[in-house]
Amino acid sequence: MCQYWWSFTLCTVVTFQFAFTFLFQQQERGAEAVSHNQNQTHQRWCLSEFHKLSRKIQGGIPPLVDHAQSELTVVYNTCLCSAALSQLSEAELLLSQATERVIQMTGDDPISSDPPAFWRTLLKSVGNTTFNSSVQHLLCLQWALWLAKCQLKTIQEFQDELFSLSETLSTELGDDKRSSERGKSSDIPLLVMDPRRLIELLQTCTFIAQGAERLSEGQSSEALSGLQKASSLPAPRMLLAYTHHLSGCCLASMSCPQMALQCYRKAVETDSRCVCALYQSLLIYRELGNTQAEIQALRLLHSSLLLPSATEPPLAGAALLSPSVLLCSQSLNRLLSVPSALSVLHSLAQKCVLYGRVSEGVEYYLDLLAALHSDDQHGVHEDPPLPRLPELYLEAGAALLTARRPADCMALCDEVVGTTLELLPEKLVLEEPEETSEIETGAVGAEGEDRMRMLLWTGAAYLLQGHCHTHLRDWKQAVTHYTRCINLLVKVHFKKKGDADMVGKQGTNLCILQRLKGLSLAGRGISFSQTDQLREALRDLHLSLQAAPDCVGAGLWCGEVLWRLGRRQEAAACWEKTWSFTAQSSVEGLRLYLQEPQTGPLLDSTELQHRIQELGPTLSA
Amino acid sequence: MESLLSGESCQTPHCLSLAGKLFIFDSKRASVTHDSQRSELVFCRLSFDREANAFVKAAAAADGAAVISGRRSSHVDILKCKCALNVQQRVTTPCVLVTKKSETGESFQFSLLTLSSSNRLQPCFEFKLNYQIKEDVYILKGPTVLWSHAGDVFYTSLQAGEVRQIPIQLSHSCLDIKPPIQTLGYFVESGQVFDGAMILPHPYICLTRCMLVLSAEKVDGDGVLKSTLVAATSHQQLVYFENGTVKDICQLPFKQPEDIQVVNTGRNGCLFAVSFHQGHLCAIWKETFQVSAQWSDVSLVQVDDFLECGSDQMLLVFKDQGETGQPLERFLLTDLCGISYAVRHNFHSHMLCYLHSGLSVLQELEREVRVKERVLQQSVQALTDVVSEKESTLKQPEQVLFTKEDIQQPVTVLRRFFFLDGLVSVSLSILTETGRSSAPAVIQTQSQVLWLPAPCSSSSSSSLSSSSSASTFQEPAAKRSKQHNAGSPGDPNTCRLAVTAVTRLTPLLNSGCVKCYVMLHYVQRQDAFGLVSNPTPAVLHCGQVALDIHSNFQTRLLKNPELKTDEVKEDLLSLMVVLDRWVFHIDCPDHSLGDIDGWIQKRVGCKRIEVSPQYLLLDSSGPSALMLLRWHQITPFQGELSVHSSQLQMLQFLDSLLAYLPVSCSIQPVKASRGQGADQILSLALEKEVVSIRECTSLLLCDKEEDEDRKSLGHEETPEPATVKGLQRCREVWQRDVERSRKRLSPLVDVGRYRRLTQSMSQVLLDGDLAALLDTQTTLPS
Repeated sequence: MCQYWWSFTLCTVVTFQFAFTFLFQQQERGAEAVSHNQNQTHQRWCLSEFHKLSRKIQGGIPPLVDHAQSELTVVYNTCLCSAALSQLSEAELLLSQATERVIQMTGDDPISSDPPAFWRTLLKSVGNTTFNSSVQHLLCLQWALWLAKCQLKTIQEFQDELFSLSETLSTELGDDKRSSERGKSSDIPLLVMDPRRLIELLQTCTFIAQGAERLSEGQSSEALSGLQKASSLPAPRMLLAYTHHLSGCCLASMSCPQMALQCYRKAVETDSRCVCALYQSLLIYRELGNTQAEIQALRLLHSSLLLPSATEPPLAGAALLSPSVLLCSQSLNRLLSVPSALSVLHSLAQKCVLYGRVSEGVEYYLDLLAALHSDDQHGVHEDPPLPRLPELYLEAGAALLTARRPADCMALCDEVVGTTLELLPEKLVLEEPEETSEIETGAVGAEGEDRMRMLLWTGAAYLLQGHCHTHLRDWKQAVTHYTRCINLLVKVHFKKKGDADMVGKQGTNLCILQRLKGLSLAGRGISFSQTDQLREALRDLHLSLQAAPDCVGAGLWCGEVLWRLGRRQEAAACWEKTWSFTAQSSVEGLRLYLQEPQTGPLLDSTELQHRIQELGPTLSA
Repeated sequence: MESLLSGESCQTPHCLSLAGKLFIFDSKRASVTHDSQRSELVFCRLSFDREANAFVKAAAAADGAAVISGRRSSHVDILKCKCALNVQQRVTTPCVLVTKKSETGESFQFSLLTLSSSNRLQPCFEFKLNYQIKEDVYILKGPTVLWSHAGDVFYTSLQAGEVRQIPIQLSHSCLDIKPPIQTLGYFVESGQVFDGAMILPHPYICLTRCMLVLSAEKVDGDGVLKSTLVAATSHQQLVYFENGTVKDICQLPFKQPEDIQVVNTGRNGCLFAVSFHQGHLCAIWKETFQVSAQWSDVSLVQVDDFLECGSDQMLLVFKDQGETGQPLERFLLTDLCGISYAVRHNFHSHMLCYLHSGLSVLQELEREVRVKERVLQQSVQALTDVVSEKESTLKQPEQVLFTKEDIQQPVTVLRRFFFLDGLVSVSLSILTETGRSSAPAVIQTQSQVLWLPAPCSSSSSSSLSSSSSASTFQEPAAKRSKQHNAGSPGDPNTCRLAVTAVTRLTPLLNSGCVKCYVMLHYVQRQDAFGLVSNPTPAVLHCGQVALDIHSNFQTRLLKNPELKTDEVKEDLLSLMVVLDRWVFHIDCPDHSLGDIDGWIQKRVGCKRIEVSPQYLLLDSSGPSALMLLRWHQITPFQGELSVHSSQLQMLQFLDSLLAYLPVSCSIQPVKASRGQGADQILSLALEKEVVSIRECTSLLLCDKEEDEDRKSLGHEETPEPATVKGLQRCREVWQRDVERSRKRLSPLVDVGRYRRLTQSMSQVLLDGDLAALLDTQTTLPS
């Protein structure tokens, strides 16, 4: 009988080594850029072979101590392969069957169902057997499955035992023993992944997952200490970068932005694919108000998102068990998420135009539009969503105008007007939704919303065209376009429901409407003032200031027209009032095309001040 | 109970097949007169008619009946019917075992009837028991009837003439497997008992639900039984055993196996037909040991050559009887390799079986390919082994070198043995290796000559060293050692001469290396008879000597590395000089290295040197096991390791370090501190050889494979086997796969490419040979 088992075990071990050799070869070849897909097919094949083998070695008979080691080794390999293919429930089933058989072997009573207690008892009962280490390997797999299923609580309960596992295993599989075994064709079955490597990976991943969880629960300093430990463990490049990145996130939430930036830098240095660190550092720059650094970071982020390696799953094919299988908790994914390349490009363009790098910004806008045209899936998978295409056109147009390319701007605006003009409603009632009624309006509201937007886009396009003509000093055309804009805007009947505060809320349709009104009236007023139609100019500028009191151009030009009309005191008061506004006006929140034009006829503030000073004595007199 | 039995027997008639004919037996009660009933055994013989696609009664004398009992109350039941070899007549005949209860109900009469060639049922033998046979009953060759009752096994036959008991007790207590139970086998004919584990391994005994012995042969002399058998277990598996060991396992689709039959389909091999409870059936090819077909609702399975074509077919009779109630209403006659006759049966599943068998052939071929690849790999491994052995055989140390340790005055003693005739004066000098200066410097030595008596051809160096270890040394006096005229105690022609040179350690350390040239100075006598008038001094170059200084090196540092004195610092410096030094750059692009310093510190006997804390001292007890290590981490992925130790130690250390480091790690020596030696060139050349063999071969085969894959990629979609066209396509795809697998086993390669391969290989081999030659010359100086 003994001989029978011998030959049996031997035969299976040979078959096993066979499968192993193939898997290993494949791994080696993996370095030679075998595609991820092929690798998966191969892993699947290996898995099915291991399944056959485990069926064979279990042989449909009750477990025997004599060949427990071989059997458990095959289970380990099978389980690992199926876990690597993300077939977690299958792996779990295999594992529970194996532990069942181990319990049969030791002859113990069924143990408690609480996982840590179960394993504690199991480890105790196999303590002195020959297959002790095999059971420990299975525990490693159990650990991996817990991690993959985000059962961090269970791991936490059992952490000390799990982390001491590497100590016990490394002393058992001591270097001397291992080196003497290696090279010889021994009967000890081979493992597809060295358990010590597995433990290393599991330790690092556990620290990372726990760190992310604690961070999301607000325990930043606890998270940080775990991550510091993880960063000294041997780990794949990607994971090491993650530990730095998460440390940075902890520090950022502990309001240590500079230290956080250091960590993010380390993360990117460690692994250039760790773009989430770039993104997080750009958020910190934004918070700190360091616009130049933010623009720099945006540019870096965009170019690294365009690299092919950034979008690939990390470490595909490099190792049997990819860390991505083990790291799937939501809180971690949130910390590792990065906006799409297009939305990064959009913010980059916007920031550049807003902060004085106009020509650069224009180029980015044009890149963005080109990318959107080549990729028609725009807006489908964006998170956060990109603005709608007409808005991007309008922003690009505004940027072009700022870069003194009015012809290009007008072309873009024509495009917008061409697509939306047909769809414009005759009349529109704008109801600013109250917080409560928002849900009730439903589909009708959405449709109305759409038409409203359409109207605002067309209006903005006319406004920009008016600006362009103003820039070209074609006052007549400018007046025409401003008038078109105004005519469009008066179609909207505003039904007041809530407070008057609504106007102040940026981003709402009402706010945009008022802003457009203010700007177009101001533009027309300025144009009139250039053609010496001072009465019309004054009327428009007054109306403009009513619609948008923070409009600097309107305020200044209103004063100018008053001055020219000889109403000097009024003019001076108007100027003073305008200057007092400028201090608190916010630019950031508004769309680019809703900003005041930088290109029209300008009034020199110092000159105006001078005039007031000259007027001064008269005033006081 | 009785009526129940009879009722059953009426419904399912007993069948057996012989020589392509199907026999159906049934017991019947026929009333002859109004008050007497008699029991009859009726049978009919059916054969398959291809034209009619049905089983029909054979033309003549197809039916028959035999009166078993004329008495009214007695009741006859068929217990078993089976074909068995009649030993006396040497023909296989259908046998029917019937039982009837006596009137009193206390005894039971059994009789075995055989069907003669003349189509008559004849009683073969009868026996009486006082119990009804309820458990397993078998009709074996003889004919012999074997049954078990209450744990005992009995048999009877015509030869035995009586009921005999087999001296084996049946046990059913095999639920607990821990205490090994003896299982026994028994030869009915000879009455011999043998170990049951020889045919069925112990763990399977409790699981086996039914089994079929394919062959069993007793090897004379050693009592070994050669057997092959298949057993269906309660774990839904069919297990193939050869001489009591598991050879293969197949997962069965159904539970509760009841019977296994073997179907010999001729040149297509054998099938096992396993029937299960509730009419399930599956067929398994013996070769591939995989399930190829399965059926349900089967009421009867018979294996025979019903078509009379020379190989067996399976006859499956399906349950669901039609309205007519005919026994063979719905059946399938098939051998799964082309023959199929079916009545009201779906052709579809049959085609699937067909494909299954094709698939298994394919899998077999793939397995062979894998074996081949493995052989290839092993060959490469063997080659590397040969290479490494070659390396070790090349090292034959010629010089014998001893070190005498003395803390205050480290002195090295060098001895060489010469066989020289007619020497007058002899001295040795040690020269430093040509290092920075062009001319080698002579190291201060003091030579001593010893005449060794009794020349023997094979003198062991150890004995010589012990004999001369008592010699005294003199203090060094001059830069060049003085010549000592050793007195000649005997005839110099017959004596051997040992010349020793003694020097201080320091000049050797100063030279920066411990490999020295050794020169022998001597003055030879002009002629044996003449005067010592004009002696001519001669110098003989004796080759290189590597000084092994660090054995048994004892310093304050080693005793206590925690000390922080200047002496300890000095010790450290001299230790660093004495030990060989290697620097390795360890780089792992995709995996961080972790805490290597911590790993080194965890090793046995590792201590940090306090004088210079970046160094770790590894002093595991044992001769020449001293190591100085320094780990300098550059980035988490790169580091530099300096090792000061002997070469062997360094290699051992690196080996264990490699086990700790990630797999993708590379270790490169940082500019070899001793220059690229010949052995290094050789090892590089050999490495290149192995690598290029592997690469060339795989390239040759890979390209071909890719070509073929590309060719066949267009037809990857799997056709539906439902239509005739689809089936044809299926077949083509399968054929192509078979063809491809065959080609892979013995691939054809392009001649031009092969020639290029051999050319490049020969160039590589040439380089390797050259390097080996160079290495031999340097390691074995003549």
